[in-house]
Amino acid sequence: MAVAQPALDLPMRRTRIGGWDPTWLLWIAIIAVLLFLVVSPFVYLVLTSFQAERTGAFTLQNYATAYGRARYIDALFNSLQLGAGAALLAGVLAVPLAWGCSRTNMPGRGFVRMLVLATFITPPYTGAVAWILLAGPNAGWLNRIYVMLTGAEAGPFNIYSFPGLVVVIALYSFPYIFIFTSAALELVSSEMEDAANILGAGTWRTMRKVTLPLAIPAILGGLIICFLEAIALFASPAMIAIPARFNVVTTQLFQFFGNPVRVEVAAAYAMPLLGVTVLLALVQRLMTHRKSFATLTGKGGERRPIDLGSGRWLMFAYAMFVASLSVFLPYIFLVQAAFAKAWGRGFAWDNLSFRNFHFVLFEHATAAQSVWNAFLYAGVAATAGVILTLGVAYIVARKLVPFGGLLAFLCVAPFVIPGVVLAIGFYAAYAPPPLALYGTAMILILAFTTRFLPIGYVNASAAIRSINPEMEEAVRVLGGSRLTALRRVVAPLLKRNLLGAWLLIFIPATRELSSAIFLYGPNTKVVSVMIFDMSEEGNFEYLAALALILQILTLPLLYIGQRALGRDFMLRRTTT
Amino acid sequence: MKKWASLIVAAAFVFGPMTARADTKALEEAAKKEGELTWYVAHYTSEGAEELGSVFTKMYGIKVNVVRTTAQVAYQRLTQDIKNNQTICDVFSSTDLGHYARLKSEGKFEKYTPENTAKISEVFRNIDPEGFFHTTAAGQVVLTYNTTKVKAEEAPKRWQDLLDPKWKGKVSTGHPAFSGYVGTWVYSMKKLYGWKYFEQLEKNKPQIGRSINDTVTALNAGERQVAAGADGSTLFSAARGNPLAVNYPTDGSILIISPSAIVKGTKNPNAAKLYMEFLMSPEASEVNVKHFGIPIRPEVKGAPGTQPIDKIKVIRPTVAEIDKGIPVVIEDWRDTFGN
Amino acid sequence: MSKLVLKNIGKSYGSFDAVKDFSLELASGEFVSLLGPSGCGKTTTLRMIAGFMPPTSGTIEVDGKVISSPAGVVPPEKRGMSMIFQSYAIWPNMTVGQNVGFGLEVRKLPRAEIERRVDRILEVVQMAPLKGRYPAELSGGQQQRVALARAIVVEPEVLLLDEPLSNLDANLREEMRFEIRRLHDEFKITTVYVTHDQSEAMVTSDRIVVMNKGRIEQIDPPHILYGRPKSRFVAGFIGRTNFVDRDGATYSIRPQSIGLSPARPLANAVEADIVGRSYLGEYWDYLAKPLGDTKPLRVSTGPNVLFDVGQRVWLEIDPTAMVRVE
Repeated sequence: MAVAQPALDLPMRRTRIGGWDPTWLLWIAIIAVLLFLVVSPFVYLVLTSFQAERTGAFTLQNYATAYGRARYIDALFNSLQLGAGAALLAGVLAVPLAWGCSRTNMPGRGFVRMLVLATFITPPYTGAVAWILLAGPNAGWLNRIYVMLTGAEAGPFNIYSFPGLVVVIALYSFPYIFIFTSAALELVSSEMEDAANILGAGTWRTMRKVTLPLAIPAILGGLIICFLEAIALFASPAMIAIPARFNVVTTQLFQFFGNPVRVEVAAAYAMPLLGVTVLLALVQRLMTHRKSFATLTGKGGERRPIDLGSGRWLMFAYAMFVASLSVFLPYIFLVQAAFAKAWGRGFAWDNLSFRNFHFVLFEHATAAQSVWNAFLYAGVAATAGVILTLGVAYIVARKLVPFGGLLAFLCVAPFVIPGVVLAIGFYAAYAPPPLALYGTAMILILAFTTRFLPIGYVNASAAIRSINPEMEEAVRVLGGSRLTALRRVVAPLLKRNLLGAWLLIFIPATRELSSAIFLYGPNTKVVSVMIFDMSEEGNFEYLAALALILQILTLPLLYIGQRALGRDFMLRRTTT
Repeated sequence: MKKWASLIVAAAFVFGPMTARADTKALEEAAKKEGELTWYVAHYTSEGAEELGSVFTKMYGIKVNVVRTTAQVAYQRLTQDIKNNQTICDVFSSTDLGHYARLKSEGKFEKYTPENTAKISEVFRNIDPEGFFHTTAAGQVVLTYNTTKVKAEEAPKRWQDLLDPKWKGKVSTGHPAFSGYVGTWVYSMKKLYGWKYFEQLEKNKPQIGRSINDTVTALNAGERQVAAGADGSTLFSAARGNPLAVNYPTDGSILIISPSAIVKGTKNPNAAKLYMEFLMSPEASEVNVKHFGIPIRPEVKGAPGTQPIDKIKVIRPTVAEIDKGIPVVIEDWRDTFGN
Repeated sequence: MSKLVLKNIGKSYGSFDAVKDFSLELASGEFVSLLGPSGCGKTTTLRMIAGFMPPTSGTIEVDGKVISSPAGVVPPEKRGMSMIFQSYAIWPNMTVGQNVGFGLEVRKLPRAEIERRVDRILEVVQMAPLKGRYPAELSGGQQQRVALARAIVVEPEVLLLDEPLSNLDANLREEMRFEIRRLHDEFKITTVYVTHDQSEAMVTSDRIVVMNKGRIEQIDPPHILYGRPKSRFVAGFIGRTNFVDRDGATYSIRPQSIGLSPARPLANAVEADIVGRSYLGEYWDYLAKPLGDTKPLRVSTGPNVLFDVGQRVWLEIDPTAMVRVE
């Protein structure tokens, strides 16, 4: 031997056969956690729906009660109509924008993307409040302007109506379709379009006959996601549908959860919502997986923007029109309200005041605390979610256990459970003894973790898959354990990805309302619930101030995310 | 009877201050050790409730977690707490008297008779002869309107006026399934004029908020012009320069008695007792007056522009009526108004 | 005593046998290649040796100690081996020096000793000046050298290489073949080398195991494998060959063992027509169809031997060069 040294022995080198790998304990723990987070609330939800309130005996009475009134049934159909209306309108808003941004030479494409992002990070309740200020039937700014311009008796807009709710929901869920559509369009190579051009088709014909059909599965997928968002949404319907005097599934669920609390009936009533969601999510998966991706992964081709000529300004105008509805107008009047003594008095110096900010930050006993709570719980949930999904993604990618696919499924399963339904499951499972998590921060954190598990998993698994398993095998063959490999190689390599995944959970978790509303306690109020409570008294000035504080606090996070992962990270990575 | 009563009152005046002060002192010390309490409150506006909490904190150094919601939400919260064997709320202040009847019969309150019960105005005394809950605030549901849109002479004077077709699309109310004020008002209207009152009101397409205080926002914004609102929050807002005014209805404003009670099993019993004393104290009444509420202490004068309740016609449903009545009218309301 | 012994190793997935009945003994310091087409089970075998995959049957021993049997397996980190991966698996978050020193760190050597050994091995692989670089700044060949250094510096019981050169371009690949052999000659580490490239195996190895469909076809030193293939598969896989059926048996004859001449040779002659030709620079490749036969034979000649397509020629076949295969 040229390098003559004493033999290099591995420390504790045992050749005992059948040695127990301690990392297995970790795997078992993760699986247990997953059962706890995902399976058990679901099982409780179903069981509870068949249980009598006090005795726990089997009964069908909850279903009889839940579907026993015409009003309750109406709410189901309202939700379906709402979802369909919102999804279609969102499609009209999103598809031209996506095409303009990803395939044409429309001016200001980056700016438009930024505005879509701004829309995306506007919580639905903030959007709903802004639109109450904009399109309240008498005092709404759009109506006032209309009256001023035309001298008419009253303006034409009424946010407190079914179409009003459809508009508000569509405006804040169209980014989903935008994301899906532009992702698909970006994969259509110019060569495919060139092929059509060469055969004599013009720009518009090519778009209609080639580009759009290729993107159709993705667009339909986006529509479905929008539909599911719309029917699962609680905040906007609660703020708009109650004064508009109709109910949807989520507000009706809230009533069952109200006075007195009828978890059993709520569970029974949640079943159609769950069923529809599961079904459509499956359809969506089948569609995006079968067609679009198979045809579109022909990546190699270059992509040149299509020259729209002077039509590009028309395109830009449309984009600005959409952005005015979703960003410009809402934020102008949110800011106005936040700094106003009374928002109805409009823009005037004597109406300007910092009192609202002062009140929510310093005078209100729980408003500032609620912001802190939201960030704290979201932070813990995001950390737990990232660790957990990373663990699962790792186990699955490295095939460390049989039934890895099942674990992956459990991680993405919450995607099809609407927030309100998830919350009811959590309430049924963990609020009462033995765990007695009712009113604790823990139950919110657990629910948030579960709710955003799919986002975490999708990102974690993409990250893990980007690491060649040989990187770790190299560690192990040199004598490092699996944990050493995770610590020394996998974790450092995934830092950016994990930060991104963390933010993608954290940001939506800070503004989550639909599960929080069923699970918060007086001392664990989060900012979304605070905002919702304030809307109860119509305190739009305070509420606008608090909503703006939340948005401002989000900006540095976005900045960090963009630094780590690129400008579009939020738009690209949130959807499965 | 009357003689006896006055004798007791006299005795209380002679001996009261000394003993009470001594007791309060001990209570104060014990309460300070507990350091905080949680108050579920449906009365007052958010600002009013927050200010009461902070005045108490200033006086005794005891933190108050003010959880201000509508009455039904507060009640739902509390019953949910109880169902889950949690005592989070120490003092419960709702605007729906029915809540007290129900919770008391289920044994969910601690019995405590504050020293100050004897010192509040007589009309508010002794709403629960057994002493589980006591009046700590009062207000009225009255007719309110936006003064820039509606001239005083055109403004509704009696409840029936809200049904006038000229107010179509211009009426605002709260929701009985949320607000105790609104629940009590709806019950009283039904008793007075039958449910057809609301069937007719429905034709005027009122905007229905949740809290009764939502009507203030609706009127301020010019979203609506007339409302069945609360005297306190409306006048408070008017005093801040908003174009609002109230009319005490000639057929009777609805008096809302808002009691408070200590929740059974409270973890801060002394702080809770001290808070009960505080809510009935002149200091609390002063805060209340600042927010245009009705002072329950006789020595505190009502806010300027308010009418003392003995000068106007007032409708005051009994505890039993409210207890039975509100759950019924909530369902009626939903059937008529859609949700 | 043998260093590494594999006894009747098998790996099956349900009814599919990825590796079946694989037995092999390596002497200490021996260099053995596993050669075969993709899917023949060679990488699976290597991963079973490394411990990344438990065999379904058979045992593996190192220095007479069982490290793998159906009763249980020693995990890879306890086997004291090294491995070089197809992707090199150089950790991008560590410098060259940190990569190479990792195994020594795990072995809890003192810091100074680690540095000394790392420097030394980097000298050997001619990478010393790049010690502080990060892998992203290195070329493919340099990464390969880092991988080699990292594997060798721990003085492994057995060194395993999994297609280490397949990601390099042709010239570099040839250079690295010799480099690997050179390092082996210097450090005398018992080595198992997996490749699908016969010339790689032949350049580097003491013995070659030819595998097909999970089974061993033949184990022999390169020249025997080439000259005396036992099976039709080995003959076809190692170099190019012609198969000739005679008297109910199949024979393999290498293209360069057939003579090609315009005139009739003295003996063992067959008349044929040239039906195709291609020029490969170093030699001519002719296809010659014996008269009355349907199948043309492949014949290699020097670059200056010229025939035209259609020309009638004589083939001379040396019977001793004909190897009977199964």
